[in-house]
Parts: sequence; structure tokens; C-alpha cells
Amino acid sequence: MPAVLWKEDMSRLAQFNWVGVIDYIPALLQGLYYTLLVSVVGLIIGFILGAIFGLGRISRSRIVYSLSTVYIEVLRGTPVLVQAIWIYFALPLIIGFNIPSLTAGIVVIGLNSGAYIAEIVRGAVQSVEKGQMEAGRSLGLSQHLTMRYVIWPQAFKRMIPPLGNQFIISIKDTSLLSVILVPELIFQGRLVASNHFNAVEIYTTVAIFYLVITLTLSKVLNVMEKRLTH
Amino acid sequence: MIIRVSDLHKSFGDNEVLKGIDCEVEPQEVVCVIGPSGSGKSTFLRCLNMLEEITSGEVVIDGKSLTDKNTNINEVRTEIGMVFQQFNLFPHMSVLENISLAPRKVRSLSQQAVRDRALKLLDKVGLGDKAEAYPAQLSGGQQQRVAIARALAMEPKMMLFDEPTSALDPELVGEVLAVMKQLAEEGMTMVVVTHEMGFASEVADRVLFMDAGAIVEEGTPQQIFKAPTSERTKSFLNKVL
Repeated sequence: MPAVLWKEDMSRLAQFNWVGVIDYIPALLQGLYYTLLVSVVGLIIGFILGAIFGLGRISRSRIVYSLSTVYIEVLRGTPVLVQAIWIYFALPLIIGFNIPSLTAGIVVIGLNSGAYIAEIVRGAVQSVEKGQMEAGRSLGLSQHLTMRYVIWPQAFKRMIPPLGNQFIISIKDTSLLSVILVPELIFQGRLVASNHFNAVEIYTTVAIFYLVITLTLSKVLNVMEKRLTH
Repeated sequence: MIIRVSDLHKSFGDNEVLKGIDCEVEPQEVVCVIGPSGSGKSTFLRCLNMLEEITSGEVVIDGKSLTDKNTNINEVRTEIGMVFQQFNLFPHMSVLENISLAPRKVRSLSQQAVRDRALKLLDKVGLGDKAEAYPAQLSGGQQQRVAIARALAMEPKMMLFDEPTSALDPELVGEVLAVMKQLAEEGMTMVVVTHEMGFASEVADRVLFMDAGAIVEEGTPQQIFKAPTSERTKSFLNKVL
């Protein structure tokens, strides 16, 4: 029985028009462009926010610490989809003007990944032995200089694996932005599939596109990590 | 005097670790601090360059009071070299970079001047051929000698040693003590927290015996090791000698 089913499945797969996908590749590539644009700009913003609020979580200042904690908890504690919908559909009613969907998408990815990256930054900085800061300070280096030349380079190396993880998660999260009309990969895929009734071919291709991005990223991060290790 | 400590108290929460320390160190003097673990010797040493905040009392380094709000602690620390039990070399930097960092960034010396100074110091600690090595490639004794060179690169007026040989394999202790002894002979002002009684009796001008957060007895190595007056000193020395 299972063997027969398998055979049936295979023959059904073969009846799809896989070669025809080529016609829609330009549309998908345009989606890919927006996926990469939102990912790259969003993650750059996320990294900057993460560094600021991650260090904020280690700050001795109560206010800075509390602000950082609130930011992290709110953004980690609500779904990306809800954040996207809130910023695109709700926030304009409060501030009185519309936000272009691409901008909203970048802001969502930036804010959301920033919260996770902040925790990565905090963990990595705190994992550097206390003696390193003491050694720097005992030489007369200021807190700032010790941070910059002694702690941060060591922490950064330790951040790479979890950072890679977060980058991959955020890239996949960009697919949720189709809901707020960012013309990214799955948005384009749905347009094509609903017009040409080739859901299997298009959605499979879309999945492969995502896989290619994330696998490439994994590889790059691996090389980077090796380079930074003596 | 170059170091003056008066009525120094230090508490961690409810735990009072230092209970009123008074102590003075003259330029070029070598003072060894001995005592059982938990007696507060390391905390005392770390208060001298404010790695520990001072709870009350006063520490005056080369005329500058550490508790004075107008004192720039970074500036004072450039005059105080410190060597740690765990070496604390910067693992992501070569030996040369370890030594050069502070002179470059704090003293703003030229790269060439710093390099010359670093290489000279490495020669002095017997590691002239290790400039390009990374800490992980060195033995504990070599790492500690680099740490000494790193501290000396700021040309400090005094050096603090916090159990510099306690983390070393026994066969590596000698090379570190030899460097310290040479430094003492050159006239460096040194405060050394140590368990090496041989070193203390040979090199120290004065020995402080600490117990339970106070200096119980102090004197020349002769007095402390040959004729201790306090019962606590006697019982400690009986255990370690």
C-alpha cells in the first residue's frame, strides 16, 4: 500500500510545470530584493539598537537599565506579526500620518531583532572575565577605553554564533511583512501563484530561495568565526 | 611616603572585610603582606588602586587622596602597576599589543617609542623572543612575566602584586620571583601579597601580617619570621613554614 501511494505522489509531482517557473523568476527576484533590503537594513538597525540597549542592561544607571529592560521585554513579549500590524495600521492613527509599508517593515525588523540582539550583547559582554576589565582599569585605561579595546573585541567573537542564529530568524520573519504589503518574496510568490494557479511550483521555489539565503549566511558566519579565532 | 593608608574600612554588604588598616609605604620600599586566606590581604591591596571602593578611611597615593572627588582615578592608576594572580593578559592581543595598549592610548606615545619600550621590557623579563606570541601560547610563568612587563610599560612609581605566583605550577614560580626580585633591587616601590615566605624574608624591607581584616603585626622579615610576638602570627607561621 505505502509503495503504491509513493508512486502516485511521485507521478503527481511530475505533472507540475516545473520548467514554467522560469517565467516568474524575475517577479520572485524582485521579491528577493525586498526581502534582502528589509533584512539587511533592519538588522543593521537591530545591531545598533542591540548594542545600545545591551550595554544599557549592564549600566549602573537605574534609568538606563529600566528603559532597556522595558524595550527588550515589550519587543520580545509580543509577536512580530502583531508588531508589524500595529506599526502599519495602528500607529498612523496615533501620529496622524501614514507610514510607507517598506519603512514600517524595516522598523519592525530593526526593533524586534534589536531586542534579541540586546540580550546577546549583554550575555557576551558579561561572559568576559571580570579580570579583563580590572586589568585594563589598573593600567589607567578609562572604562570606555577598556570596553572598546579589551572587552568588546572578546565579546564580539562570542556573539557571532547567537548573532547568526538571530539573523536567520529575522530573515525568515520578514516573510510576515507580506501582511503589511511589503513586496517581499512570499508577497510576490502569492501574487504569482494566485494568478497562474501554480502554487506548488512557486511556493516550493520561494522556500528554496529562503533556504539559499540562510544557508549562505550560515556559511559566511562560519568563516568569520574561524577568522577571528587564533 | 608614597602610600598612606589611614583607618581603612571595607565592607561587602554586612561583611566587614577590612577593619581599620593604617599603613605607610616609603618610596623604594618593598612591603610583603602575608596572612591566612580570607584575612583581607587582597582586598587591602585592591583598595590601593580603587579596584575596590573604599567604604571609609583614606588612601593617599603620591599625595593624591583616592576618596577625594577631584582626584582622577585613571591618572592615579597610571602610577600604580598591578599584577594579578590570574595574569589577566588580553587573550585577543599579541604580547607586544598587550604591553603597548595602555602606553599608546593613555600616554599617547608614538608607535615606535612604545614598541622600543615594550621590546626592552620583554628582554628584561627574559621574553625577548615572544613579542609576537599570543598569551595562550605561553606558559603561566611566561604570561605572568608579560603581565609584569605590561604594568611596567606605564613606568609606574609603584607596583602592586596580588599573589602573583599562586596560580603557577611550582616549577614556574622561580622565574616570576626572580623578575620581582630584580625589580626590587632596582628600587621599585612594591607591595606584594604573597604566600612565598622565602621571597618575603629575602626581598621584603618590611612584612605585614594580616588576620581577620587587620594588621596584627609588622616588622622586618627578621622580626616577623624569627621573633614574632603575636600568638596569631606564631600559629600562622607554624602552619606555613
